[in-house]
Amino acid sequence: MKASIIWHTPEPEKTIATAMRRCYSTKPLQEIQAELDEKGEDYWRHLIGLALRDKSFDVIEHFCLEVLLEGLKEGEVGNITMVYPFAHFLSLGGDSWLLSVNARTLLEMWHSSEHKHLVHTITDAMKEKGIGAIYSSVAFGGS
Amino acid sequence: MQLVLLWHTDHEAIKKVLESKGVHPHKEALLRHMVYMFSIEDISRVTTHQLIRHRVASYDQESQRFSSASRESFVIPPSIAERPEAVKLYDEALQVAAKTFEAMIALGVPKEDARYVMPHAIKTKLVMTLSGWSLKHIAELRTAPEAQWEIRELVSKMYQMAADATPDLLQQD
Repeated sequence: MKASIIWHTPEPEKTIATAMRRCYSTKPLQEIQAELDEKGEDYWRHLIGLALRDKSFDVIEHFCLEVLLEGLKEGEVGNITMVYPFAHFLSLGGDSWLLSVNARTLLEMWHSSEHKHLVHTITDAMKEKGIGAIYSSVAFGGS
Repeated sequence: MQLVLLWHTDHEAIKKVLESKGVHPHKEALLRHMVYMFSIEDISRVTTHQLIRHRVASYDQESQRFSSASRESFVIPPSIAERPEAVKLYDEALQVAAKTFEAMIALGVPKEDARYVMPHAIKTKLVMTLSGWSLKHIAELRTAPEAQWEIRELVSKMYQMAADATPDLLQQD
């Protein structure tokens, strides 16, 4: 199976950190984002770590990806569609699919033995393009 | 009410893949692959209660465990604003609630419990991410004349912003 990342949320780690701070801050978004810029990537990593530790998975739902998958069987597509409400597939003919998915769904799929291989293929494609490296190191331990 | 469209899926990137595969999907199918993230500020909790009933979307909202209240922190519905006697009653009730909130905190009641006294009129802030399909569905329901004024205004603006950003996919007014 092959995965190619077509598009992803810009600055995914900053987006997750923004969502996290939105819950705990009374400040307007502009001020939250200025604060996040000032504190930098280590702080974003810290917030992502807290969110995952506390199982506040809603904040990682804002990290979205559009993925081209080649070599994925229709049966597996059916299984994923039935279980995960944020995974949307579009058939491109044969065993090629366009998948719209968020980081929460990927994490949940990673924890299921059934779809772990698919998530590995996607995270490898992310790694290749340097997408969400900080997030992946926190969520998947650098895998 | 303040609304910002923070980002959306690059429609051109998807179009390129579809063209390379010779696939021409229906617009509705394509909308499931378009994602939009909004920042929404200064709407009432009345409206966010209505908004989060739309489940296939991602929400992160300012927690009242950390926020404080002031007279400027409340939304005044137009039907109240246009009636001076109603404004007076509304103001008095909100002031009592806000003062009680502060007094309970001064007594050592944690904010997470003191907030139980706060009215639904209190302003809130959130970020929301949803697909184009969900946005279109929400707009169909919440921009209808039967919908309440505040959510109608919010969803109309959200839809308009998304339509301006991706006019090929969402119909503009």
